[in-house]
Amino acid sequence: MAQLAARLATKPVQKAATGAGEEDSSPAPETVGKPILEVIDAVHVYGDVVALDGVTVSAAAGEFLTILGESGSGKTTLLRLISGLEKPYRIGALRLGGVDVSTVPAYLRNCTTVFQHYALFPHMSVGENVEYGLKVRGVKPAERRTRAREALRLVRLEEKHDRRIHQLSGGERQRVALARALAPRPAILLLDEPIGALDEKLRLDMQVELLEIHKRLGMTFVYITHSQEEALTMSDRIILMRKGRIEQSGPPTDIFDRPVNRFVAAFMGVENLLEATLLTLDGDHATFRLGEATFSGRWSGTGSPEIGSDIVVGLRAERLHVADAAPESPAAANVLPCRFGAAIYKGKYLDRTANTAIGQLKVRIWDANPVTRDDAFIWWKREDCMVMSP
Amino acid sequence: MSTSTLPVALVDESEIAPTIRLLRQASRWRVWPGVAMALGFFAIAAIYIPLVWLAVMSFSARPLSGIPYPLTLANFSLLLGDERWVPPLWTSIWMSALVALCCMIVATFVGRAITRMRRPGPVLLLTLLPLFVPGLTMGAALFIFLRILMGLTLGLWSIFIAQLVWALPFALLLVLVVASRFDIRLLEAAEDLGASPWRRFWEIEMPLLRPGVLGAGVFGFLLSFNELLRSLFVRGIETTMPIYNWAMAASQQSQVPIIFALATIILFVTLPVMGAFFWFLFVKLDRD
Repeated sequence: MAQLAARLATKPVQKAATGAGEEDSSPAPETVGKPILEVIDAVHVYGDVVALDGVTVSAAAGEFLTILGESGSGKTTLLRLISGLEKPYRIGALRLGGVDVSTVPAYLRNCTTVFQHYALFPHMSVGENVEYGLKVRGVKPAERRTRAREALRLVRLEEKHDRRIHQLSGGERQRVALARALAPRPAILLLDEPIGALDEKLRLDMQVELLEIHKRLGMTFVYITHSQEEALTMSDRIILMRKGRIEQSGPPTDIFDRPVNRFVAAFMGVENLLEATLLTLDGDHATFRLGEATFSGRWSGTGSPEIGSDIVVGLRAERLHVADAAPESPAAANVLPCRFGAAIYKGKYLDRTANTAIGQLKVRIWDANPVTRDDAFIWWKREDCMVMSP
Repeated sequence: MSTSTLPVALVDESEIAPTIRLLRQASRWRVWPGVAMALGFFAIAAIYIPLVWLAVMSFSARPLSGIPYPLTLANFSLLLGDERWVPPLWTSIWMSALVALCCMIVATFVGRAITRMRRPGPVLLLTLLPLFVPGLTMGAALFIFLRILMGLTLGLWSIFIAQLVWALPFALLLVLVVASRFDIRLLEAAEDLGASPWRRFWEIEMPLLRPGVLGAGVFGFLLSFNELLRSLFVRGIETTMPIYNWAMAASQQSQVPIIFALATIILFVTLPVMGAFFWFLFVKLDRD
């Protein structure tokens, strides 16, 4: 056990050059050094349900990788496969630090998990919980105590060392779970929706705290969430999963601004999604027919579609601009007359529905009073118009 | 009272169905706490008055007369002079200790297995069914099977089997209560942190099952120590404490005073021990 642990243990590597937009479908992405985690062609089934359908993922040392998806997308299964708590139905290879561990039991793998349900041991004190990973690794009591205190200091819970678990609040339990997983200094820290059960304020604080811990330790984080906002805030790279497959992977800006298809766009909160017909495609410059008019946008779909094929156009509500008169600058080639409908007051901004020739569009208005009339114009920049696969 | 005259703050009870209204009114009677207290006192009295009376009568010169006076220690000195009851007591103590130990081990194995089964119903029913078999029936069945059918010589071993069959379902119930509340995800967390299967069991699962397992031991011991019906059938030529007491009380009138004294001694030893144990089990462990 000790030998394997030593082989798996890696020195904290300073953050690798990530966010370069590497495609994840190739087994070895272009990152500095070897990837610390490689999952190759993982297939898993529960009864008749396919949970993972040939998933290939890799993470560079020190990377903050987020696996994003709704419940049932297979993201937790993927995490359990990595930790070893689930035996894959079939897997090409599962390498931690270059060593194939696909047949190694979970307790010999040098990665630890922060569970969504925390799974703290109720019969142990906070300190004993944090020490447990060190105790089973045979670390001497004195060193164990020092390192447990260090881990607790990292999550700012040092003064709770002697408390019982049931005396802690939800947020404190979550931080103890984090300290317990960090204490053995694993090569990879797996986080399974760790802050999903906390209230909003605490969740925002924990996002910042997790980021700081990640930066300080330089450890590889594999983070699971169903919240696009969490994924965008924290990740170096996001993998968006759906029904056991990877829909898209890339740095947050890619996923947010360049979704490959309707599902990704909808998941990332694109409010206006319209069906259109592709007219021309030159590089990423696409023109398309929508209703009676022709518009242009930026192609972010997969492959090279045929001219005349069906495509999907995405427009974020906050990237639509409104004006009393049609703007004349060439940047605003995409202009539509519109008539405003219902408005929803959201405090910081105002959501309005605009009826146009191509259908209803949702517009987010940040200024107090940008338009005075109900009849107005909507326009958007070409690069803010996402053209993608259906 | 019509609805219009009612203040809006109150529920209009006249609109509620009569049977439900009656229940609502009955639930408001102030006598209920008094009833509960009276029943509680009755139960306590029914348990302890006979016991205390037995203790008092063990000091009586004529215990069967029902009159305590004149007080005497003669019964106790008679008991100490008579050594026939000592071997059955030791037999019972060792037997019960063994039954308790086996109860703890078997109940832990089976209880854990049942809580991990997908459909535990049939197995659970099968293991708990002996609870509903009358003692005489079970004893007779065991005798017919072991002595007549198998032709075995009965003795301590068959008493052990009979008592284990009797005590095991109770022990299993106690373990099941804690095992079904045990969160198996804790074992995954321990495995994830690097704990081997053996450590996971002893450091995570066992501490949380411990109250149930110890309880299984206590009840195994008590049930075995008091067991008479089944042991009578399969005793061979062996004698346990309950068999001895029963034989003495049933046949030899002259021995009854000794039984009174013996029962008193056993009572005064076991009650504090049990009290201490339950305190440890439910108060001390809880506090930690």
